[in-house]
Amino acid sequence: YFVLINCGANVDLLEILQPEEDTFFFVCDSHRPINVVNVYNDTQIKLLVKQDDDLDVPAYDDIFRDEEDEEEDSENESDGSEPLEKRRRFEEEVIERTMKRRQRREWEARRREILFDYEQYEYHGTSSAMVMFDLAWMMSKDLNDMLWWAIVGLTDQWVQDKITQMKYVTDIGILQRHVSRHNHRNEDEENSLSIDCMRIAFEYDLRLALYQHWSLYESLCNTSYTSASLKLWSVQGQKRLQEFLADMGLPLKQVKQKFNSMDMSLKENLREMIEESANKFGMKDLRVQTFSIHFGFKNKFSASDIVYATTSLMENIEKEGPETTNFIKALDSLSRSNLDKLHQGLDLAKKQLRAIQQTVASCICTNLVISQGPFLYCSLMEGTPDVKLFSKPVSLCLLSKYLLKSFVCSTKNKRCKLLPLVMAAPRDVEQGTVIMVGIPPETESSDKKNFFGRAFEKAAESTNSRTLHNHFELSVIELKTEDRSKFLDALISLLS
Amino acid sequence: SLRRQRVEVSIELRKAKKDEQILKRRNISIHVKEENPSLGQDRAYEVSPSLEEIVEAVNGDDAELQLLATQATRRLLSRHKDPPINQIIELGIIPRMVEFLGRADNTALQFEAAWALTNIASGTSVHTRAVVEGGAIPAFISLLSSPHMHISEQSVWALGNIAGDGPLYRDALIARDVIPPLLALVSPATPVGFLRNITWTLSNLCRNKNPCPPLDAVKKILPVLIFLVHHEDKEVVSDSCWAVSYLTDSSNDRIQIVVDTGILPRLVELMGSPDVNVVTPALRAVGNVVTGTDEQTQEAIDAGVLTVLPRLLRHTKPVIQKEAAWTLSNIAAGPCQQIQQIITCGLLPPLVELLSKGDFKAQKEAVWVVANFMTGGTVDQVVELVRSGVLKPLLNLLLAKDSKTILTILETISKLFLAAEKLGETEKLCLLVEELDGLEKIEGLQNHENDMVYRAALDIIEKYFSGEENTDLEPQTGQDGLYDFSVEKQDFNF
Repeated sequence: YFVLINCGANVDLLEILQPEEDTFFFVCDSHRPINVVNVYNDTQIKLLVKQDDDLDVPAYDDIFRDEEDEEEDSENESDGSEPLEKRRRFEEEVIERTMKRRQRREWEARRREILFDYEQYEYHGTSSAMVMFDLAWMMSKDLNDMLWWAIVGLTDQWVQDKITQMKYVTDIGILQRHVSRHNHRNEDEENSLSIDCMRIAFEYDLRLALYQHWSLYESLCNTSYTSASLKLWSVQGQKRLQEFLADMGLPLKQVKQKFNSMDMSLKENLREMIEESANKFGMKDLRVQTFSIHFGFKNKFSASDIVYATTSLMENIEKEGPETTNFIKALDSLSRSNLDKLHQGLDLAKKQLRAIQQTVASCICTNLVISQGPFLYCSLMEGTPDVKLFSKPVSLCLLSKYLLKSFVCSTKNKRCKLLPLVMAAPRDVEQGTVIMVGIPPETESSDKKNFFGRAFEKAAESTNSRTLHNHFELSVIELKTEDRSKFLDALISLLS
Repeated sequence: SLRRQRVEVSIELRKAKKDEQILKRRNISIHVKEENPSLGQDRAYEVSPSLEEIVEAVNGDDAELQLLATQATRRLLSRHKDPPINQIIELGIIPRMVEFLGRADNTALQFEAAWALTNIASGTSVHTRAVVEGGAIPAFISLLSSPHMHISEQSVWALGNIAGDGPLYRDALIARDVIPPLLALVSPATPVGFLRNITWTLSNLCRNKNPCPPLDAVKKILPVLIFLVHHEDKEVVSDSCWAVSYLTDSSNDRIQIVVDTGILPRLVELMGSPDVNVVTPALRAVGNVVTGTDEQTQEAIDAGVLTVLPRLLRHTKPVIQKEAAWTLSNIAAGPCQQIQQIITCGLLPPLVELLSKGDFKAQKEAVWVVANFMTGGTVDQVVELVRSGVLKPLLNLLLAKDSKTILTILETISKLFLAAEKLGETEKLCLLVEELDGLEKIEGLQNHENDMVYRAALDIIEKYFSGEENTDLEPQTGQDGLYDFSVEKQDFNF
């Protein structure tokens, strides 16, 4: 028995793993679309999916066909095989048989279309963490800790821009009910002060990354939403920031202090104040529905804090051992008894966010984002500061998203605003490889569906490029630097 | 004789793996609706008679019911998925169906019965036996002469299934004189569909060994087979070539009978066909012929087999490459005059190509070509062979995993050295082998797990590479040796 967590749903598991007949897989994965073989397999693959997650799977008969039906034609196949020793006469006449063959070809053509449509765009369903929590809840074994992890899972999908706003809000609502259920006790001194107890609270919080563990100023500068909206890479942008702070009556000196050291008077009503001012400066969505966790004496974290910290730990380039060390460390940091790891993660996250913003600013200012026709393209050169950070998939994706947001705010070209972005960075200088990601366009009503997975696959095939296309996200690919040009050319003509 | 019979390997009936197009259904249980065979075509929702009803009707005397029941049976047996053959047999109605075959007053009944019995006989040996034991053989044989073509055609088909079961039933049919009425159905006026069925049945009568079909039967069939092999329909041609290939897959006297018909030129012509279904059996037939005597092989050569072989050695299908190489290897096992014809007809370059980059199974056969060449060829011819560049790919094949192949190559190299010794040019050959990275491979083989391989390798090393200084290194330019050993821009005067 194997349990696959947040991987495996979108690939043909039986084909890739070639398991024995008595091997079973339980798959809980938000990657979509789910591979049709996984969907229709009756025995070896079990999928954990929320009922209302609309899978849109093609009908069985549209994509599968009895192999036995092919027997009829084996006589007439041009493969030089010996005549059959015995032949059965079927009920139809030759004309009907030809018609059947033609029907079969039509069916096959339609099938190709259906599968193409089904598999073309990748997206995400309900967070695996939430599904697991659901399972625990149904078994009446759900705990507050698990609920928190479900929240973190959902928040990760939001931070990485994997789900639509509507889905996020809907799922927040679902979790909110659970939070109430688990945390409805009045604020007993006992509960809020005990080291072992934790409390989850719903928050309509500022969407400023890590702000409670940073300074408000740093957070404003390094959160893509504010940075992009205010265009902080430009001089006018910096001016606007000053005006924004002034509008809120927040002295620069205060704002640059560690958040916890800010005057209490300023922190009161901070959220409402910022929101009001933000509206004036064109930032209508500066607050977001989310959750926070309190435990021990002064430990308070927002869900997004955990997401950033964990991601940074996972993709930490300061290597201390095999890849799995990072994963284990990140996993450990989710436990309340590993605060030190969490704090390490927060520090790394700050570094990462700074690096992202600086890179974004540099790319915008030096016009590194160019249009290739069907998509925008940006390539980071070796030697760019912090470029090693971006040799990792999630970091590179985050960078790409933030870059695209900023680019859209900075460009006047209406057409470019609607384009998706392909971003490349060096992966391994010794091996001579690059890593490339593709992200969908930044539009208000975006459905977050990404076609780059298939596009990369086809471009690699048609150019015989040497690629490694085995990340969990198919919109991430590694290839040999030498093959980059022809790969890109193929991608351009494919998508034109 | 050096000639090698083709090993009875069943041809891989691998249907083209259509990859993207058809997915395999892995352990998917979907319940498909049971088909409801209807009595009449327009009465789509009519429920078919139950098996009990069929038995009753068949055994009864009402002609109309007999017909309906037999037709229903035929429909069950001709549906695509899972025809209930066993169930029908268990009903015990086969003898009654055989009776219906004789009902000249009711041709519809005859036809349905014939079709139903054909389909039962198309199953396993057990199924076919049930039909035969029901007395079907004489009944079907007499139906061959039916004035109704669709009935005689169906009988041809049924008899084909019976013959295809194996030599026992095949010979039973022949003993019952199936051949004359069957052959009588072949005429220029016979429609193509019918002709295809006849050809197929004839091929089954020629098929199988242990024992082979009776000689006199073969002699009767052959003239008609010759006619069919000249037909314009590809399926007819293909199946008749298969029949010829069965007849030639036998002792030399049987090969002679086929050769005597003068069919070889036509077979060679068909070997050049673009249609794989024609090329395969034609090549097989001719390949069988050259496993015979030198004279028989000569007839094949005279018919032009060496001119069509080069293309087949380069064919896209590995099986054809392999059989072409096998055919060539048997020709190379002949006297040096035939080896000379191999050279003259330009077969060395495609041979070298095949040795270098052909399908592995074909390469194994190509090794035999070289081996046989080495055994039967004159020194001139051996030199010519080496000059064609055959040594390099040959030595490369020493890395193959197949011990037998390696051994054959080592033996070939030994023979080559013997020829070189005769000419006093051993050292030149040593140098050449070394240049082509052959020495290191042979040295490596001294560690091979197979006893005979390591000993053969050791033998060569000891005899020719035992470390004596090469005193004869100065290039001998301008020596008008009778044998010029030029390979790959190197001039080695032998």
